[in-house]
Amino acid sequence: MKAILKRLALFVTVAAMLLSFASCGGANYTKDNTEYVIGFSGPLTGGAAIYGVAVQNSAQMAVDEINAAGGLNGIKFKLLATDDTHDASKVSANYANMLESGMQISLGTVTTSPGLEFTKLSKEDNVFFLTPSASGDKIPEFDNGFQMCFADGNQGKVAADYVNSTKLTKIGIFYKSDDPYSNGIYSQFKENLSSSIETVEAVFTGEAQDFSAQISALKDCSFIFMPIYYQPASVFMTQAKDIIAPNAVYYGCDGFDGLAGQFEDFSVIPQEVSMLSHFDSNATEGVAAEFIKKYTEKYGTDTLNQFGASAYDCVYAIYNAMKAAIDSGKTIDVTISASDLCEILKAQFKGEFKYSGVTGTDITWEDNGYVSKGAVKYTLKTAN
Amino acid sequence: MKFIETLVNGLSMGSTYAMIALGYTMVYGIAKMLNFAHGDIIMVGGYMLFVILSMTGNPFLGLLAAVVFCVILGVCIEKVAYKPLRGASPLAVLITAIGVSYLLQSTAQIIFGTAPKMVNVADLGSISLGEINVPVYTLVTLACSMVIMTALTLFVKYTRTGRAMIAVSEDKGAAQLMGINVNKIIMITFAIGSALAAFAGLFMLMKSPSLTNTLGAMPGIKAFTAAVIGGIGSIPGAMLGGLLMGVVEAISLTVPAIAPYTDAIEFLILIIILLVRPTGILGKKRREKV
Amino acid sequence: MKAMKTIKWKHYISYIVLAAVTVALAAFSFSGALKSSNLYLLEKIAISIMLAVSLSTVVGFLGELSLGHAGFMCVGAYLGGKCSVLLEPILGEFPALAVSVLVGGIVAAVFGVVIGLPALRLRGDYLAIVTLAFGEIVRSVFMNSSAESFGGSLGLETPRFDKNILFIIAFVLVIVCLAVTQNLIRSKHGRAITSIRDNEIAARATGINVTKYKLIVFTVSSFFAGVAGVLYSYSNYNVQSTNFDYNYSIEILVMVVLGGMGSINGSIIAATLITFLDVELQTILTGNLAVLQDLFYALILIVLVIYNNATSLKGFREKYNLKKLFGGLRKNHTVKDDEAKWHRVPTKIEMDEVLSVDLQVSSPYTPDKTDKEDK
Repeated sequence: MKAILKRLALFVTVAAMLLSFASCGGANYTKDNTEYVIGFSGPLTGGAAIYGVAVQNSAQMAVDEINAAGGLNGIKFKLLATDDTHDASKVSANYANMLESGMQISLGTVTTSPGLEFTKLSKEDNVFFLTPSASGDKIPEFDNGFQMCFADGNQGKVAADYVNSTKLTKIGIFYKSDDPYSNGIYSQFKENLSSSIETVEAVFTGEAQDFSAQISALKDCSFIFMPIYYQPASVFMTQAKDIIAPNAVYYGCDGFDGLAGQFEDFSVIPQEVSMLSHFDSNATEGVAAEFIKKYTEKYGTDTLNQFGASAYDCVYAIYNAMKAAIDSGKTIDVTISASDLCEILKAQFKGEFKYSGVTGTDITWEDNGYVSKGAVKYTLKTAN
Repeated sequence: MKFIETLVNGLSMGSTYAMIALGYTMVYGIAKMLNFAHGDIIMVGGYMLFVILSMTGNPFLGLLAAVVFCVILGVCIEKVAYKPLRGASPLAVLITAIGVSYLLQSTAQIIFGTAPKMVNVADLGSISLGEINVPVYTLVTLACSMVIMTALTLFVKYTRTGRAMIAVSEDKGAAQLMGINVNKIIMITFAIGSALAAFAGLFMLMKSPSLTNTLGAMPGIKAFTAAVIGGIGSIPGAMLGGLLMGVVEAISLTVPAIAPYTDAIEFLILIIILLVRPTGILGKKRREKV
Repeated sequence: MKAMKTIKWKHYISYIVLAAVTVALAAFSFSGALKSSNLYLLEKIAISIMLAVSLSTVVGFLGELSLGHAGFMCVGAYLGGKCSVLLEPILGEFPALAVSVLVGGIVAAVFGVVIGLPALRLRGDYLAIVTLAFGEIVRSVFMNSSAESFGGSLGLETPRFDKNILFIIAFVLVIVCLAVTQNLIRSKHGRAITSIRDNEIAARATGINVTKYKLIVFTVSSFFAGVAGVLYSYSNYNVQSTNFDYNYSIEILVMVVLGGMGSINGSIIAATLITFLDVELQTILTGNLAVLQDLFYALILIVLVIYNNATSLKGFREKYNLKKLFGGLRKNHTVKDDEAKWHRVPTKIEMDEVLSVDLQVSSPYTPDKTDKEDK
């Protein structure tokens, strides 16, 4: 009997532990706010951590700058960063925690897979989000979501238009078939590609590091479209440097950003490498260069990439939009609820609001939440 | 032509698997335990190579340091984690091995972070045979695996220690009665296995310079699959299984319809082999003695 | 008589406590005292308990290691999720949930039988690798499925159940799972199962149908893993196969090992504790600190397993018994059938025989290939 009592006590302890978190919760979590709270969920640890950390650093940098300049009419901003390790099942807890900590505006998620969950959760409570880098086509599915990066489908379409205009007759495509980003770009690219162009396709999955078979399949192509991230791209290029014709062109999307940093000497790759993006982390002039300088001074070059630049812009875009709303006569109290603020910001982003920053000038947003700005073809490296 | 090209690619991929599978099969054949952490010892070797390489720039010094470090690590793991469990149920040993694998991965992540490190060991270039380009590292890896395979076979067959290994693998109790120091033999096995892991790390990095803390995880599991296909415990079997695995992977990747399912196909082959011929291609059937 | 009564109470205590907790939490939930973060946490705990209890039957009682538990869950999540997508407009919320739970569970159970069949031939390490391979195959198939069927790389969109009710349903299903597994383990069949764990050949020799029992355990275990998968699909808007990787199977294994092999109550407590810590630490630990969590899991696995199994620590174990220190945490000695003995009965069979290839009396004993040379 004694043992039973002990066990009973243990179960009760567990139950009590659970209940200890059940404090009286009201719907209005923002009523005690003394700052505007911006929250996001991103991979701060795990394999995709460099993206999440870049967003965290850059967003924090923007928040610090805004606060140092006096905030918005004297009210400061606060950034809440939560870790989802690129795992969608962790998003709900992060979201609920941020909301209960008074989050009023969000940067959504850093990556697409968790973002799909976030999109629907944020719709439940009508929380405005402007994501720096979750580029899935379905992320701005509802009216409360906006993107700062190009949607995948859009990138695929723009890339296809470019290829159609080049009079190539045969191109290679190298993509990661189990990745939403790569797949999303690929399918729209394929759909918009002129039917007269012959394609050779090679895929990889998971964390493959040996691309011998794929390189053989693609070796006769003089133009290879690679909608993948820079890490596998760098491995592919290293392994292919002697096999694929030296005058070939590797053409990637914004995932290529950071590629140059993977090589001690980029010129060991004889082929031309280009990307279609909104930011070049090797920029030497303009606002982008200014951002790069500020970022590297503070956090070094390890996590410098377009995710961060985009996040920096997101914070400023939200700040500018709130400012514009106040200027046009709206009142935004520090304790405003997420839902009320969402309506104000939605009206701004769907209206005449324009933003110019690191990743583009005169950026506007379409009614469906997609960003509308110029995509620039950056040549990371010309053929040797 | 296309077929020969695929075959060459397959051998190129398979040579790495063969190298790892040799280490697996040594440990499994003699200590009779699945060393789940073998793949992660490869990763540790890779990081050691990276550290020494960035300090001195000498790949040979790096390899030497990696081999020494891996051998010490392998022996320590055996002493601390596996030796106390000798005689316990294989389930316990397997779970401990998984634990060690996790421990190594997370320790590496704490020390080196998650961002991939680029390790440029040496650029050996490639030679072209007709229309086919063969990277030199493939040839080097193949040659080294062959040499190591032969050396191991000879070692096991003709040296006292090697014969003792066979005895231990056959029956630990009887071996002990015959005056063999079982603990010492198993320790030597782990030392050899870990040294092979360090070599495998070098060859993997020569092929793809990107180093993360999960470098050895998936290749490790695939190489184990290769060792099983070849017949676990059999040294030439590991080589054969590794090369076969590479060829299957290369063929599967060149057929567009099944290319995304390559991993699934490899694992399916493993399941089928285990069902049809659980002892693999070169393995001998064992019976349960009562 | 009195002793009998004690044992009975002991058997039902976990149901009673779980039911009490469920009712209390439901009451809290309806009175609006639970925040949504608490509700999400409760859903996760229920799913973890179900996974840990079902894995515990295979690992703790049958004595086989399955590294593909997340794979069975994945099957349940996708099939059940698909079912709920199709049925919800026709049947309405509750009936759709009931049907989905059954469909997800049954399909996972069918896969359990398919994987259980090799279990008849394979033991130990080999079975672990086969289950691991199975998990990877399942993941790969769903990952590369077409967008119309299972959503492919973007994952399957599933309806999310009302969070105020879902956790109650989940806990009710946990109690059902507990009832089924406890009854299986404590019955005559359960004794047969543990005897297979302790010595398969002896069990076979006593006339126990080893094949049948292994299949039963695999089926029951994968059924509930599938049900947990369906619950997962209902607690998320999106089912993505990346979540069901090998690491997730290991996390479930950590729960079972931490709870004590062969202790269902232990699994429940460990699953609750680990899930709770996971979710709470997720927001507290960031950067390199978060890796410490993985490091901690790894250490739990190594230290606990070595402590419980090391032959040289036997004396120490008996002297400083964990059971004494933790009191009722470990099971009481009066109930023998619930006792997990890690050590198989020492026989001459020693576990170097990994494959249980059928005995062939006629063929002479041939040693390993490497041993062929003349001595």
